[in-house]
Amino acid sequence: MSGEREPAALRAALAETIVGQEGVIEALLLALLCNGHVLLEGPPGLAKTLACRSLAAALEGEFKRIQFTPDLLPSDIVGTRIFDQRESAFATVLGPIFANVVLADEINRAPAKVQSALLEAMQERQVTIGPQSYALPDPFVVMATMNPLDSEGTYALPIAQMDRFLMKVNVGYPTREEELRILDRFAVADTQPVRAVATLDEVRTWRAQAHSVHIDEKLKRYIVDLVARTREPSEFIDYGASPRATLALAFLARSRALLGGRDFALPDDVRAIAPHALRHRIGFNYRLAAEGIAADRIIDGLIAAVPAP
Amino acid sequence: MAQRAAAALALLGALLVAAPPRGDAQALQRLTVLSFDLGADTTTPHVDVPFHLMLTLRVRERVSQIANLDLPGLSQLELLGDERETTTTAQGTQYRETVTVVARDGGTVTLSPATLQAIDAHDGKAKQWFSNALTLHIAGAASRAMANAARNVGAALLWLAGIACLVVIMALLARRRRSVVRPPPVVAPSPPAPPPVIFRTPAQRAQDALAVLRAERSRSAAIAVRAAMWRMVGASDGETLADVLRRTDAHDRITRELLVALERSAFTYEQDLHGAIEDACGALERFIEAAA
Repeated sequence: MSGEREPAALRAALAETIVGQEGVIEALLLALLCNGHVLLEGPPGLAKTLACRSLAAALEGEFKRIQFTPDLLPSDIVGTRIFDQRESAFATVLGPIFANVVLADEINRAPAKVQSALLEAMQERQVTIGPQSYALPDPFVVMATMNPLDSEGTYALPIAQMDRFLMKVNVGYPTREEELRILDRFAVADTQPVRAVATLDEVRTWRAQAHSVHIDEKLKRYIVDLVARTREPSEFIDYGASPRATLALAFLARSRALLGGRDFALPDDVRAIAPHALRHRIGFNYRLAAEGIAADRIIDGLIAAVPAP
Repeated sequence: MAQRAAAALALLGALLVAAPPRGDAQALQRLTVLSFDLGADTTTPHVDVPFHLMLTLRVRERVSQIANLDLPGLSQLELLGDERETTTTAQGTQYRETVTVVARDGGTVTLSPATLQAIDAHDGKAKQWFSNALTLHIAGAASRAMANAARNVGAALLWLAGIACLVVIMALLARRRRSVVRPPPVVAPSPPAPPPVIFRTPAQRAQDALAVLRAERSRSAAIAVRAAMWRMVGASDGETLADVLRRTDAHDRITRELLVALERSAFTYEQDLHGAIEDACGALERFIEAAA
């Protein structure tokens, strides 16, 4: 690794502030290294906002949070043109999406038109306001959240839109020990500020390094086998993951290797990130819900059925 | 020469005695054969350097054992060990037999195909399947005196192992007979006795692995050695390093370092392969030293 500081330093800095939630922290860092976005599903109060804010602070980058509501408009996200009476001309006001780390809170509370505006910007990495296009900052990571407990008045994201997220992470409650540590850390003082441990330039360098991490042919075949397994006829699956999942698995495995200080990926990298890369890309049918089976159980079974090289 | 032949015959004899009886068409298993391969971790072994022959059979059915499977004749090689593993997954069954052998003379050896007799599940007819044949080019020769000495020790060990296996099998059979007397009569026939396995200590296995890796510093050799060391700690094909490291047999630092080094040699990029294999050899040496 040629860079002066390594991505693991970022993880250590975040862990100083956030108790537990290693999955969320790793997902954020992997998304950063892969130039992708993360969808988080979990109940409120599990440090999702804190994780985003801390990541931006650790990078000396800009953080913005958008609360999605049913009356939100696309222009509330990307920006709009307003008429300046003094200048007698239209001026452009950029929306909150122009930040390095964006938290799209409860993305399923906004209607499809607003969701599409966000997801299009995530994909294109630019927005067009009036006649002009504006490039989004680089790095640009969106962390969107969904609350699984309160689904009334929500607009479910279509699979095609979900596919644009690099990974979907299920956020669980902390363990008893972690919750005791949370109590100790946050009972007296407010959130500890995160120290800056890297620059945006360093993130761009790490991203280039992640692209050059070696993936062996055996590992490539393993990735393809995993994705192909999701497409085999199954009692609970209507359709399997797209080739975008194959690419995502390879990117994520490379980035995880870099995060682990290696310049070659291992089967463990693929297996560790496979549930996050696949769970939102598989179309489960009604039988799954009817029989009360957790989707993750099926995914774990699929992954276990493919022998690692 | 006579001693070596006698040793090989004794081991082969033991294997044949323990093998399940050959059945007629009705006793054959009903199988859908997906692949049937005979391979070796190197096709250019060296005289007096152990290497492995690997027979892999994949069938669609989920069965607990594979019957009526015959290895090719190995009379030109000396047998050191034989490991069998049957893995059943949702896709079917994989039978893998790894035979550790050593060549005592140079030259070219052609192994005939292994055979399997079963009823083809496609058409219900009894058939015989053949794996591929295998040609080995055995190169190099150690000094004759050393070779003879090693052969004598090996033959003695083989005799001892064969006798020990027979004693164990007879004791097991005697115990089973005694225990069968007390409970109500059981109609089910007793299962065939397991084939005798020549026990090799972890240090001996690591020495075999080191010999293989030193003889052939290639990716395929590294992968074969990795597989052998995984089996040593009780892991099976299809697991990842994290799974293996969770096993109790892999808890000590030296074993973990060895497994990590072998993982690197199996997956690193080409330019790093030489260094990775060097590190793996070093880790194997440390393992052997610690085990001794």
